[in-house]
Amino acid sequence: MTVMAPETFVEVAAPERVAAPAAVAVPLLRRIARAAPPYLFLAPGLALLGVWVYRPLVTSIQLSFLSWNLLPTSPAKFVGFSNYERLFALPDFTAALGRTAVLILGLLPFTLVVPTVVGLLARRVRGRAATVYQAMVFAPLLVAPVAGAAVWQWMLDPRGGLVNRVLGTTTNWLQEPGPAQVAIIVITGWHVLGFATLVVAAGLAGIDSEYSASASLDGATRWQTTRWITLPLLSPTLSFLLLMTLLLAAQWSFPLVNTITHGGPSGATTNVYYLLWDYAFGSFDAGLGAAAGMIFFVLFGMVALVLVRLTERLTFHDS
Amino acid sequence: MSRIQIEGLTRRFGSGNHAVNAVDGISLDVADGEFLVLLGPSGCGKSTLLRMIAGLTPPTGGRILLDGRDITAAEPRERNLAMVFQSYALYPHLTVAKNIGFPLRTRRRKDVDAKVTEVAKALGLEQLLDRRPRALSGGQRQRVALGRALVRDPGAFLLDEPLSNLDATLRTATRAELTDLHRRLRSTFVYVTHDQIEAMTMATRIAVLNGGRLEQVGTPEEVYDAPASTFVAGFIGSPAIGLLPAEVRGADGELRAVGDGVDMPLGPGHDASGREVLVGARPEHLRIGTGAVGPEWRGTVRLVENLGGEEVAHVTVGGGRVALRGPRPLGLAVGDAVRLTCDPDRIHLFCATSGRRLVRTPEPRRAAVAV
Repeated sequence: MTVMAPETFVEVAAPERVAAPAAVAVPLLRRIARAAPPYLFLAPGLALLGVWVYRPLVTSIQLSFLSWNLLPTSPAKFVGFSNYERLFALPDFTAALGRTAVLILGLLPFTLVVPTVVGLLARRVRGRAATVYQAMVFAPLLVAPVAGAAVWQWMLDPRGGLVNRVLGTTTNWLQEPGPAQVAIIVITGWHVLGFATLVVAAGLAGIDSEYSASASLDGATRWQTTRWITLPLLSPTLSFLLLMTLLLAAQWSFPLVNTITHGGPSGATTNVYYLLWDYAFGSFDAGLGAAAGMIFFVLFGMVALVLVRLTERLTFHDS
Repeated sequence: MSRIQIEGLTRRFGSGNHAVNAVDGISLDVADGEFLVLLGPSGCGKSTLLRMIAGLTPPTGGRILLDGRDITAAEPRERNLAMVFQSYALYPHLTVAKNIGFPLRTRRRKDVDAKVTEVAKALGLEQLLDRRPRALSGGQRQRVALGRALVRDPGAFLLDEPLSNLDATLRTATRAELTDLHRRLRSTFVYVTHDQIEAMTMATRIAVLNGGRLEQVGTPEEVYDAPASTFVAGFIGSPAIGLLPAEVRGADGELRAVGDGVDMPLGPGHDASGREVLVGARPEHLRIGTGAVGPEWRGTVRLVENLGGEEVAHVTVGGGRVALRGPRPLGLAVGDAVRLTCDPDRIHLFCATSGRRLVRTPEPRRAAVAV
């Protein structure tokens, strides 16, 4: 007869924890080969970015400290900060900044207000009709600015031009300071309106239709839905357009200013972009042009930074 | 308090040869205070039907009445219905409090704050009122969506798969809460789901849809115990009922359904037409047979699944498959030849061509004998 061990309880042991075995050493070459693909994919883009963006930027910084008339045969002379000093001494600079501000304000209806209204109204246009309408709205952007400028010049002719005949006025649009600025704003606006409208349409299309469906069941009228739901959700798109307008308004108007008014009459349409072009390639003062370019670069950079910060705080992204 | 009547509601998408009837002539009468579940697989038209009730999708034909008032052409906001969307559709730029208060704000109600606090308290959302939807978990979002529906005492609640984005544990808990909510409010609920467990546990009545048409409308018990078609039989119940082809034969006044590996007495009768049928029984009603009488399935065990408390044996019978579910261990191993049986009243019989359930018409002859 065997003697039974006294009965007792023992815990069920948890599976044993085993220390990780030493990692197998991977040869350096193979480690590099494994890590390389993402960088290789990025390489062409980065190379182009370097060649077309950062190298010119560095060259501009260098140029802004030199005095050079763009002639390959004449030497560039180092002049320190004198280009910058000259720039702030000239009255053109601040005047051009002011005119650029007017241009930006004048363009906002074309890049924000009208596209939003048209986008909201055109939401119900669908299918083939939507394609046709979008193509029509987008068409001005496809017209070469110089070609557009030629037609507008003809239409704005003080004697027998279409605009004066329709308005019943005798304004000499391109030769009087005020009207010239208005003409540049309207033509630039006409040019970018289609683009802005498409951006707004894309923004609206990106808003989940369930929100407005839900709002309508929650008792919201169409106007309440637009004001309380659609517009706040469209705010990232609108702030993008605002940023684009602030940063690119002068650039958009450049081909028109250059072909129609040449910055005139008496500098009335000379914005910052035209000004720095005129310094460099009109007066052949590469250093002054580069210095102006640097100032605007920093200025617009700061504006963009502030706006992006503001946008992040004020707009709502649909998660 | 709302009764929803649907009469011949139809929704056609596309035109010409490509037209599809997403909802095809559906009529339903949802009584006040009922919890009606629209159940069916994806693409069966259940969501389209709900969106037509909500007014989000205009019907191609038919009428919708709310408390006898024709609302077919009414705007969604005029319908006094609240809806919980599958995506919840919480306004991402508004806080939880603003989201819940939205339906009151659109009506310019004065008591927004008080009502929002009341609803938030009932749903345990007081701590989250200042958060935006992005900062909420799936379960919290679901509650906010529910809160937004509750806040204005709507005539009826429409819910479109509200639990499908929750994990299994939360889904089970929320199911019980919804049932509880329905009992407290005594409101009309119309609830869309493809989940048979949600339908069985919450519904007072289930409407099973397939291909835009109603297959069966009944209580969960009716739908489970007496499925009206092979579709309903197969869609509800897990593992699915195994239906096998057989032929009705009569001999000596007794009817039998006989097929490959299947032989079952159907009781007295004279329908010796050789009618093609499908027969089956729920997996939990099958058992391993011993006697020679009663329904019989003969086959081979192909797979035994362990569910923890129970086991499911998949048995090949003839060309088809039946499942048997019972307490573990069943005592079956793969490859075993097995005879299965069940109580005769547990047999489901369907017409092989139409797929509709076959029921016995009253049998006067046997009554005469008994007398």
